[in-house]
Amino acid sequence: MPLALPELQAALAGHVVGQEHAELLASVVGDSIPAAARLRIYRNHVLRSLETALAATFPTVQALVGDEFFRGMARSFVASDLPLQPVLSEYGAGFARFVEGYAPAGGLPYLADIARLDWALNVAFHSPATPRLASGDLASIPVEQLPAKSVSLAPGAAVLRSRYPIDRIWAAAQPRASSETVDLEAGGARLLVLRRPEDAGFVPLGDGEAGFLEALAAGRTLEEAAELALATDAVFELSPAFARLLHLQVFAAVQ
Amino acid sequence: MSPAAGIGLRAPHLAEIAREKPATAFLEIHAENYLSPTPAAEAIERLRADYTFSVHAVGLSLGSAAGIDEVHLGRVADLVRRLQPAYVSDHLSWSVIGGRYVNDLLPLPYTEEALDVVVRNVQRLQDRLGRQVSIENPSCYLGFTHSTMSEPEFLSEVARRSGCGLLLDVNNIHVTARNLRLDVRDWLTLPADAVTQYHLAGHTVNDADGEPILIDDHGSRVTDAVWTLFQEVVRRIGQRPTLIEWDTDLPALSVLLDEAQRADRALLAAGDHAARAA
Repeated sequence: MPLALPELQAALAGHVVGQEHAELLASVVGDSIPAAARLRIYRNHVLRSLETALAATFPTVQALVGDEFFRGMARSFVASDLPLQPVLSEYGAGFARFVEGYAPAGGLPYLADIARLDWALNVAFHSPATPRLASGDLASIPVEQLPAKSVSLAPGAAVLRSRYPIDRIWAAAQPRASSETVDLEAGGARLLVLRRPEDAGFVPLGDGEAGFLEALAAGRTLEEAAELALATDAVFELSPAFARLLHLQVFAAVQ
Repeated sequence: MSPAAGIGLRAPHLAEIAREKPATAFLEIHAENYLSPTPAAEAIERLRADYTFSVHAVGLSLGSAAGIDEVHLGRVADLVRRLQPAYVSDHLSWSVIGGRYVNDLLPLPYTEEALDVVVRNVQRLQDRLGRQVSIENPSCYLGFTHSTMSEPEFLSEVARRSGCGLLLDVNNIHVTARNLRLDVRDWLTLPADAVTQYHLAGHTVNDADGEPILIDDHGSRVTDAVWTLFQEVVRRIGQRPTLIEWDTDLPALSVLLDEAQRADRALLAAGDHAARAA
């Protein structure tokens, strides 16, 4: 009795991630190229193409660990976490967490945060460049009403915090970077990742600016966000910080 | 679209195409690469004024027993609405099961059960898009013992029952026939009036347990054997818009345009031959 189509498809998908299935093997025509070797072509293609897709989404991680190590790490991830849908640029949401627990990469404690940065840049790149809040949009709001307003962030904008200098590590891993060494004890980083007109990029933030944006992203009002920022960063000043963030085009709209 | 050759638009060539606007019958894009609003997707929409488009999907999984994914179908439909391409196509294959995407054009057994599934999914796609789509013959590395039809018989039935077009990938015919020990002439029996488009691409030869196996990697020029088969196909079926596909080891844009010109000449030569024979 041949496998019905749903069972055949489940068996072939299972084969790709390493499960053997006797009935599947028996359903495949073998000749001078045995059925098992024919099935293996599909398994190898799926794994290799998904490793390649992850390398495109996490180029900095790949540059830091080298192609061979990256492929091994990616292959372990793929086998445990196939994509949920066919758009490969949206594959890898769980990769940073996987990297964090991947024992062979234990010597690079910053690697998972670099994966988070690559992922945030990827998400920003695939977010729409919809109109951003400009200073002119604020002119119509009476000044005394501003503190109670909340401000939404542009699509794809994200604040990233790391205990490692991931901005400098990222820069050192770029294709044309100088071979300058990065001091891992140089202090952590707070980065704003955002979609720009032609690409995605990041800028370093002060501690207060990062807290301010995180609070706004969580729906707090300008006044509440400024208080939270001041609580962690005594030199935070709302007016210049807001002007700088407005200039960076991180805000979408005032509500 | 006139029956002439176009090229696949791949991201590394995008800026050059936008700047130089080279002449080509059409530009083909992979739907899955342009579903989110990246700078590249914005650039593609600006090219609409200058080029005819073909939207070629790889992830609709028309052979999935569980049906087509509603979310992905909606996103592809949205792209088709924005781009208004001359052609929309996907493959006779499957890649989605249980909410997971297996990134390959996986083969189907050619049975009545699979035929019902494919026809239902193709009809669903055509209904959603409100237009005809074309289904491409895949490159295969294995066949199933319980298939009751040949691939051309299966494709003919899909076209007859669903009203879809057939996209004939001439390289895939060559690759599948070699790998599965079949005769390329079987594909020449496909109903000519259903065939809407041709694809041409390069392949490579790998080793499978000491035996050569042809891999459809779209990473080189079209081989002589495939050009010869293309001539036969055009003589038998007629001139159709033809795509030069190149996805790995992407060469300079000029190489793609050169291959497309060769396809144009082959279409003309075989077309003249067909006209004289008729």
